[in-house]
Amino acid sequence: MLTIGFLVNPIAGMGGAVGLKGTDGLLSEAIRRGAEPEAGQRALAALRPLKELQLRFLSCSGGMGEDALRSAGITGFEVVYKTPEVTSSDDTRKACQMFSDRGVELILFCGGDGTARDVYDTVLDRVPVLGIPAGVKMYSAIFAVTPEAAAEIVHHWVSSPPHLRDAEIVDVDEEAYRCGELRTRLHGYAKSPYHPGLVQGTKQVWEDQDEERAKAGIGRFLSEVIQGTPEILYLLGPGSTTGAIARQLGVEKTLLGFDAVMRGTLIASDLNEKGMLGMLSGHGRCRLIVSIIGAQGSVLGRGTQQVSPKVLRKIGVENVIVVATPHKLSETPLLFVDTGDVELDAAFGEYFSVISGYHIAQRKRIGRVSSGI
Amino acid sequence: MQTKILLDEEKIPKRWYNILADLPSPMDPPLNPQTKKPVGPDDLAVIFPMELIRQEMSPDRFIDIPEEVRDVLRLWRPSPLYRARRLEQALKTPAKIYYKWEGVSPAGSHKPNTAVPQAYYNMKEGVERIATETGAGQWGSALAFATMLYDIECTIYMVRASYTQKPYRKSMMQVWGAECIPSPSTKTNAGRAMLEKDPDTPGSLGVAISEAVEDAATHNNTHYSLGSVLNHVCLHQTVIGLESRDQLASVESYPDVVIGCVGGGSNFAGISFPFAGDKLTGKHPDVDIVAVEPASCPTLTKGLYAYDFGDEAGLTPIMKMYTLGHDFIPPSIHAGGLRYHGDSPIVSKLVHDGVMRAVSYHQTEVFDAAQTFARSEGIIVAPETSHAVKAAIDEALKCRKTGEAKTILFNASGHGNFDMSAYDAYYAGKLVDYEYPDALIREALGRLPKVP
Repeated sequence: MLTIGFLVNPIAGMGGAVGLKGTDGLLSEAIRRGAEPEAGQRALAALRPLKELQLRFLSCSGGMGEDALRSAGITGFEVVYKTPEVTSSDDTRKACQMFSDRGVELILFCGGDGTARDVYDTVLDRVPVLGIPAGVKMYSAIFAVTPEAAAEIVHHWVSSPPHLRDAEIVDVDEEAYRCGELRTRLHGYAKSPYHPGLVQGTKQVWEDQDEERAKAGIGRFLSEVIQGTPEILYLLGPGSTTGAIARQLGVEKTLLGFDAVMRGTLIASDLNEKGMLGMLSGHGRCRLIVSIIGAQGSVLGRGTQQVSPKVLRKIGVENVIVVATPHKLSETPLLFVDTGDVELDAAFGEYFSVISGYHIAQRKRIGRVSSGI
Repeated sequence: MQTKILLDEEKIPKRWYNILADLPSPMDPPLNPQTKKPVGPDDLAVIFPMELIRQEMSPDRFIDIPEEVRDVLRLWRPSPLYRARRLEQALKTPAKIYYKWEGVSPAGSHKPNTAVPQAYYNMKEGVERIATETGAGQWGSALAFATMLYDIECTIYMVRASYTQKPYRKSMMQVWGAECIPSPSTKTNAGRAMLEKDPDTPGSLGVAISEAVEDAATHNNTHYSLGSVLNHVCLHQTVIGLESRDQLASVESYPDVVIGCVGGGSNFAGISFPFAGDKLTGKHPDVDIVAVEPASCPTLTKGLYAYDFGDEAGLTPIMKMYTLGHDFIPPSIHAGGLRYHGDSPIVSKLVHDGVMRAVSYHQTEVFDAAQTFARSEGIIVAPETSHAVKAAIDEALKCRKTGEAKTILFNASGHGNFDMSAYDAYYAGKLVDYEYPDALIREALGRLPKVP
């Protein structure tokens, strides 16, 4: 029987309803503005379809899980964490630690990006994580599209072994976000279940249905390109898709940093802006390989500050190669470039040809960033 | 005002047109995959009947169509030529658009034009069984129909992605008595090797060809049959262009632009070779001939003009053609019939020599065009055909800008009645615009066979 650690961040989403674009550090202001807890309702929508399944839940008392489970008519659960009167991110972390210690196979949580970060910081990629969307911002890639979709993914898990993928956890700068500016930073990669049928027409496109297969194809293709162009210096950006290229080359890559590769050999790791500029001045031609970060389609954003406009101009926009799996692309209708330099952003044109498999690319439109996405 | 231009049955061409006779320079010969020496008739006799081998290499300008074959062709030929007045009105173009409608054949496409003579010549040689491959299922269903006429068994290796996507094509093959096997299969060495390499592969035409060739080469009573690419297949399809030229002549017209979609090149050869012949012989030097292919598998627009194998396993003769590499597995676009790494050597040469030109389009824009066509002319075309429709519409829109009243002819190669899941995906916004990253691929390691 599948054992699920289930928790609700009861205050998630409260800030959004009253125009605060986030609840972190602003709960009392949200309450003053009349915000009411909504996460419980979203959790309930995800739990109701799970009532008939043979599942075992570990959860928290009261508003952090128990209330929603009871309302959904689920009885097979055990409270392993006592929820205090006033909750904070600390409670999410403590509960997840309990879940992890008790060997749950999946953590199902209801919240937003802040909750996702707390869950991830506790269990990293040791326990698969699935988010029921209830926050103000949900740019991390572990969220199901709707609460009902989260339930469907659990249904699929019960009937057949799950597909797991690496899903980005992103930090959004709440202060900047409230000022109408989206600043994200890649925080890490959690393991998350997904079901291709929920986002793709079934039997439609075979290679879209397996993340690992697609990553391996991308890795094989670009490693051949790197080896076929020994005169070019390659900067590999963060992520597991770019990581597949490094794996194919047999080099150790940092997960969250920019690493330099030439002739199939790693020559520098985790470069900052200064390091990159130094590298670039010492080499002739250079290419930058980046993947799409988070669920918002950001290709080069202010989150990847190492790749400053200065670095990009030196590399040249024509030397930027974007990689992404078909599944990721299917979730991302538009791509965004937001380097902070409007003229440079415009130089990327209307489309990216995103490498999505072995000898395969997909044309994706580049959206225009306006203030306050 | 006349919409359909019809010919009497007696006007079914009595001879196929062989463009090899009018080429200004000879073709580079196909090479034996083992010896790398030019292929001779004996090399091919294991898998093809001698009459087809003769046609493959014939220098004669015209080759007689057997009366028995013409008798079968009467079931749907001559096919109608339509003046697309409603499409012209929808586009507000001064251009005159004509389309040759090949969807009237029993299998619903141009494919029976060659399936019937191929089955006929095999029957004449006493062949008991034919093995072949099929991509989207058009060719497989056509050959199933043709072999049934001559009481020949038929085994069809159908590309796995299409086998799943288009179950009704498989049903048609069954109705006509053929056996349809998803490829790669465990029945052949080529199939087993592919499955071992990648158990989840969607398959490709290249792999399916390897399987069918191996099946034919290892069974004494079995021949192989190919639905496109080869010279004799292109030859048989010239009935399309020959009829079209007669039909246009009956309304005192001749095309300025001739358009067809290209996978292996046979329907395009069919509509265009008679007009290309007119161009080569100076009768109509200005006719513009356009091959249309998918951006995801852009053999003519982005491939290399080089010797390469026709199949994945390297069993077929090595041919000089535009190629994306015989190990290229194109993404699973809905126009399954256009997913081929190579192209007809004759079409390739004519494009290379500038007699014809090629364009490519993304998946979404060709479905836009197919919808425009369906909503003006009524016919829902196959995803493959929609590429030709798109190019014809673009030519007509150019005329709207320039005010020219060009005559545009395109081949509507087949209906899309079994492709509704593709239209569903289009309306659900789920079509992916695949591309072929040619610049990067050229930089990667070379993969073409080394030819001395």
